[in-house]
Amino acid sequence: MSTEITAGGKPFVHHHSAHCESGVTSALFRDKGVEISEAMIFGIGSGIFFGHLPFVKWVGLPISTFRSQPGAVFRKAAKRLGGEFVTKRFRNPRKGMDELKRVLKAGQIVGLTTNIYWLSYFPNRFRFQFNGHNIIALHEIKNGFRVSDPVLDHPVDCLTEDIERARFAHGPLEPHGFMYYPKEIPRNPDLRTACIKGLKDSCNMMLRIPLPIFGIRGIRFLAKRIIKSPETLGFNEACRQLANIVRMQEEVGTGGAGFRFMYAAFLQEAAELFGSDDLARLSQEMTAIGDVWREFAVVSARIVKQRGQAQDNFSKAGGLMLVCAGREEALFRELNIVVRKLKA
Amino acid sequence: MKVNEVPQDITYYEGEKRACYALNDEGKYVIVTSTGWSAEEVVNGLAVAELAANLEETRKAVIKGLKSPLVYHMEQCQMTPEILAKTAGMATFRVKRHFRPEIFAKLKLSVLDSYAKALAVTIEELKNVPE
Repeated sequence: MSTEITAGGKPFVHHHSAHCESGVTSALFRDKGVEISEAMIFGIGSGIFFGHLPFVKWVGLPISTFRSQPGAVFRKAAKRLGGEFVTKRFRNPRKGMDELKRVLKAGQIVGLTTNIYWLSYFPNRFRFQFNGHNIIALHEIKNGFRVSDPVLDHPVDCLTEDIERARFAHGPLEPHGFMYYPKEIPRNPDLRTACIKGLKDSCNMMLRIPLPIFGIRGIRFLAKRIIKSPETLGFNEACRQLANIVRMQEEVGTGGAGFRFMYAAFLQEAAELFGSDDLARLSQEMTAIGDVWREFAVVSARIVKQRGQAQDNFSKAGGLMLVCAGREEALFRELNIVVRKLKA
Repeated sequence: MKVNEVPQDITYYEGEKRACYALNDEGKYVIVTSTGWSAEEVVNGLAVAELAANLEETRKAVIKGLKSPLVYHMEQCQMTPEILAKTAGMATFRVKRHFRPEIFAKLKLSVLDSYAKALAVTIEELKNVPE
């Protein structure tokens, strides 16, 4: 944790977070004097999700996502907490950069959506063409900006050209220089109503999307594909795909076990807020599910590393995922009942 | 995951640390920094190694004169022809055509310049691949 001074002379405390988008959103709320944790934003914004998109390829491999689509956490959390935000996209990069400088000069910190490849302060092995990384610009410095990246544990400097490239990168999910900052945030947002909305939305997304590739059904769908993958794809290709799933789970903007621990942290906070023992119990269950996801990652890594010499095989990995699916289904079904008893 | 289970296997993040949520002794969630996890290293290492192997293959092909250096620089930025075309402001088929060395050699300076800008390299670098 370290403190920075913005152009407006206000102190800004950098908090280390597990996820970029919820980290940025909570920092913007904190900057306006509303103390709210990252996990709370993640839960209110219904960040938890699952989806396997076999037809959308990213570096030649199908996408599995453990979170809602980029931008949704910010959008939903802002709306449910009653915050009014200024959001802007640009066609012209020059205008986008000028506007950013103007707002920063006024002493306002700004959230930016960027492409992670062009942010050169990242370790090289994490730099991939991905257009959904969120950072906060604090103030202008010589040849660049002071940037608070919630995924790192300290603020960093970033060159102007890097920021411009990152904001106006092309490819899937183009950011178009997306920038956002709070206009009006209520002093005491109604956390209870927001939490209930977030919880209900998460239950719906996990249980009720009528497509077999999203939510709990999506986990089962992917688990069955994994079990069959050595026969359908051949051993090497199956290993590649399995490694990619684990990467999506642990690496690409997550906080371990595909956000399950962060959601458990949210449930814990919500349990305190409502004084509900049911939520506290569900938080523990979510932690246990997160541990199974981690075990899945360990088993998968062993398969990939040892190439079939050990007893670990694809049906064991897929089996663990089916366990996750079963337990998550039970959890969200119960949550769906518990949330309806909560009083706003 | 408990606090003492947060992986501290390796200094995998090049000195950076990552935040993880874990339970402390009182059963409350706290953020703990992690220096890296070996399971993560395996899977990410596979992806990074694959990219590096492809890049090396392309480099050899460029030296043999089978592909233009543009392919190498594009792959180094982990772009696809579609992304490169959009970034450089050109049609995709044109970019793909420039992957042929004999056509790339005849390109105008203005075209090379837009590629150089898109890939964040100088024109001199764009025309060559590292030895």
